[in-house]
Order: sequence, then C-alpha cells, then structure tokens
Amino acid sequence: MSDRELLEGSEAIARAAVAAGCRFFAGYPMTPFTELLEQMAVWLPKADGVCMNAESELEAVGMAWGAATTGHMAATGSTGQGLSLMQESLSEITNARLPLVVFNMARGQGDYFQATRGGGHGDYRHIVLAPMDVPEAVEATGLAFRLANQWRTPVMVLGDYYLAHTYQAVSVPPIERGAPERPDWALNGSTGGSGAAKIISPLGSGVDGEEGFDLGAHYAACAAHIEAMSAGVEPLVDAGFCDDADLVVAAYGSVGKFVRYACLRLREAGHKVGYVRPITLWPFPSEAVRDAIAGAAKAAVYEQNMGQMLDDVRLAVLGAAPVEFIGGPSWDPAGFGIGPDINVPDISQRILEAMT
Amino acid sequence: MSGVEPAHPGQTVSGVEPAHPGQTVSGAEPAHPGQTVSTTSGRERELMLTGIGGQGVQLAAQVIAQGATADGKEVLVFGSYGGMMRGGSTDSTVVIGDQPIEAPPVLSSTWSAILMHHQYWMPLRDRIRDRGLVLVNTSVFEDELDADRYQVVEVPATDVAADRGNPLLAAMVMAGVYARRSGLVSLPGLLEGMRRSLPPYRRQLIEANEGALGAGWELAA
Repeated sequence: MSDRELLEGSEAIARAAVAAGCRFFAGYPMTPFTELLEQMAVWLPKADGVCMNAESELEAVGMAWGAATTGHMAATGSTGQGLSLMQESLSEITNARLPLVVFNMARGQGDYFQATRGGGHGDYRHIVLAPMDVPEAVEATGLAFRLANQWRTPVMVLGDYYLAHTYQAVSVPPIERGAPERPDWALNGSTGGSGAAKIISPLGSGVDGEEGFDLGAHYAACAAHIEAMSAGVEPLVDAGFCDDADLVVAAYGSVGKFVRYACLRLREAGHKVGYVRPITLWPFPSEAVRDAIAGAAKAAVYEQNMGQMLDDVRLAVLGAAPVEFIGGPSWDPAGFGIGPDINVPDISQRILEAMT
Repeated sequence: MSGVEPAHPGQTVSGVEPAHPGQTVSGAEPAHPGQTVSTTSGRERELMLTGIGGQGVQLAAQVIAQGATADGKEVLVFGSYGGMMRGGSTDSTVVIGDQPIEAPPVLSSTWSAILMHHQYWMPLRDRIRDRGLVLVNTSVFEDELDADRYQVVEVPATDVAADRGNPLLAAMVMAGVYARRSGLVSLPGLLEGMRRSLPPYRRQLIEANEGALGAGWELAA
C-alpha cells in the first residue's frame, strides 16, 4: 500500500503548514477559506499549537501579528474579501519586519492586484506564491514559511475554491510536536524597566541607545529590504512548448492548470501553442516570462478577471510582442469563483481565436 | 509530443533544487520550456459519477479514489452537489493516472461514467467519449442509453444491495463493478479505500461495505 494520502487541498495545506513549523493560526470563516481554518483547528493542537476562530478578520490578523512578535511561526488567511479588512495590519507587519504566512483562498482571480500590490499604506511588497494544484500547494506552503523566516516578511499563498476543495493523492511531511526554536529578536515578555525589554513596531525599533524613532532611517531600511527581496527571492515559473510556439499563453493558479491542460491538448492536435505559468507572482518572474514569449509572434493572458496579471506580462515583454487579453470574469451564482467559462473547451477556443 | 516524463509540479516550487534541473524553469533561464511536460492521451483515465443526493455518489467517488491512492496511483477528485441532503443533484469527477495528474478539476469529457440515477444525468450524456465505459444502475435508471456509442455495463446495483439487506449499499456495489471493469483499482486497494473513506462513527458498517464491494467485484467477473 502506498503511504500517500488522498487529501482535500485545505487539509493538505494545513498539514504542510504545521509540518513547516506553524504554531499559531487565527481566522474567520468564509468560503472557500473555511475548510482551511477547520483543518488548522484539527492539526495545530497535535503539534502543541493554537488555532483561534476570531470574531472577525481584523481580529484574526491582529492575533497573528501578536503571535508573530513572540517568534512563533504564525499564519492567518481569508478570502480576498477578508484580506481587504486586513490590509492595514499587513502593511504594518511588513514594516515591523515580522514573518507571517497569509493563506488567501480567493473567490476567483479578481484579487491579483490586492495580492501583488497590497492595499495598505506605504511602499511595501509581499512575496506571493500561486500554486496550481494540491501537490504544488504542499510545496508552496513549506516554501512560504521558509521565505517568511528567511526574509522576516509576510508571504502569501494565493489559492481559490478549486485548490481548497480538490482532493489529490499527496505526501505531506510528518508533523512533530513542540515549537521550533524562537529567533533572538522575538519578544519574551520582558517589560520596560527590566533592562531586557524589546520593541517591535512598524515605526522601527527606535534609535540605538536613544529615545524616540527615526522614521526616515526606518523607512529607508525597509525600502532597502524590499529591494533585496526583489532581487534575492528566486522567481518560479512553469512553462511548456514555448520553443516553437506561435502563441504563448500566460495564466496562474488553478486557472493556470486549466490553461496548461488546454495547451497540452491543443499541442496534441498540432497547434503551435505554448504556455508560461508564473508561480511567484511577486517577485514576478519577468525575465522567464519574457524569454518564454521571446520566440513567439504573440502572447495572450488568460485570467478570470478583467485583466490584472496582464499588466505584469506586458511590463515583462516591454512591447517586444503583442499581448492580447483572452480571459474575463465568469461567476457562479454563489460568487465562489467557479464560473461556467472556466472549462477547457472554452479556454481552448479563446486560444485558437488568438492564434488567428 | 516529446515523450519526456513530466517533472512533478511540486518540484518547480522547491525553491532550492529542482530534482531534475533543466526540466523545470526557474529564475532567469528557462532551459528547455518545451520539455517541461508531455501530453497525456491514454495515460489519465477520467470517471464522472452522477446521481441524486443520498445514493452515496460522493462516497463511491471517495472509495474509488482512495483505493487508487492506496494502490499508489496519482488521483484527483472534485465533487459538486446541490444544497440538499437528499434528492438534489450530486456529481463527482475522479481522474486516475500513473503520472502527476495534468487534468484540471473540472472536465468536459470523460473516459467512463457511473450513472446511479437519471434525474440529473443529461449534462453528462455528451461528455462521455465514444466507446466510453458506462456503468448504469438499472434498478432505478429510467432513460435511453445509446449502446452503440458507449460500452454499457448494466448493473442492478440497488437490487443487489437490497438483496444483501441494505439498498443504501448500491454505490458500493457499483464501485466494486467499476474497479474490476476499468482495471484502475485492485480489490485490496478498493477495500482499503473504503476503510479510509468511512468516518469513525461509521466503523460498524465496514463489514457490510466490504460485502457490497466484493459482490460488485464478483458481478464484474
């Protein structure tokens, strides 16, 4: 018997998160994020961790922020709707230089800008990973915690209804009890006057040896950090059939799996189409996308929105090839982002039309 | 296409070392984008199940999928059902293969189908490919099936289950027939898949389910 398990995406992600060292999770239910919250409640206690069902997304991100300051690996999440409420905190957690993983089980793909640009104040960016299916999400979850710790920054794993609710045969890493070692910057409960007090703040940690803050110095340091992340985080991308392609189609996430499959089938039928699928949405794999498109006469972008990643693809190509938008929103009555247009024949038809 | 084995999708996000450098594209140099994947014809087998809520359609999909997983296969399942516990539409899609599944969760055509009931089956009719394997629960299914177009296997699943003492086991009878006729799941795998699928408060039903799966397996001989 194989030791692999058939797991729903939500459970696979939750177990991968706990295996990666996550010991605190807070969230507020909203489809399709709810099952992830439920699974965290199942699996975190097995590792001596804590999962809180907060009273709102605002409270959830606040709890996660507090847990992160103590050096425990913390995570939160929601749908794009709930993430809207969290934007102020996500901006400030970034400027406070805290590791945090944010699971965005989005409704459709309308929140690409929210995920990659952020909606909070300030000159900040987050690392964003967009897996296409359950096995890739297990890997992306482990990577998210490693990157969050390495760069002391929030990292988003961007999924959707399909990812949360599809079952696949996967191996998830084993979960070990107990907490990973806490970093030396973590708050430990020491208060003012003890001589051991520390401060973690979006305004910086004060001027060495003196009272007060130097916001200019702090923001300059934050900017330098964003620049270092932008250059230092390895951009990840999956591409196929680009070498002799007349048209290269770009797509991401679960919808990227539909597009990828459409391209495989079209190739079998003799159509010279390739695909490129960014896995890191920030940093955007601009060079790889440009190279994938370089040999083609034309590029197309398929997204389940009015055209958002489209901007990043056009910036990557910088006018070297025409980039046509062939996506568009498609909604189910419940608004979960599983609309009727998201199917291989429809996508294939749009690809073929873009090739003519 | 190239016939090059696909890199496992997970290997592209390791962030450290792809197991097969050159087959994945990371960073600035897409080494061989054309070799990242190979095409899938004949390697992935799709199953779509349809019925009405309460017939065990979702459970049958789980048991078959868990069984294939226990056998070491690659598996993907995506189910959908209406907001009713009983009587509403219920469908599921299962994809089984030997390589990482390329198919997305929603498919427009299928290699095989299990028809537990006729009420919501029309959308599925044109999705079954020509010569597709179609298992039909003749105990309750009341619609025409084109025997020239499909390989139809008639299974009086609800009657067989009722004879065994519980008509609710019909979906397990069907799963047993499907496993053997499709060649996708072994009998030990199927039984293990059933045990993995039952929640703790249903453990007392393991024996009855084993019997129904075995009866289906024998029917398919």
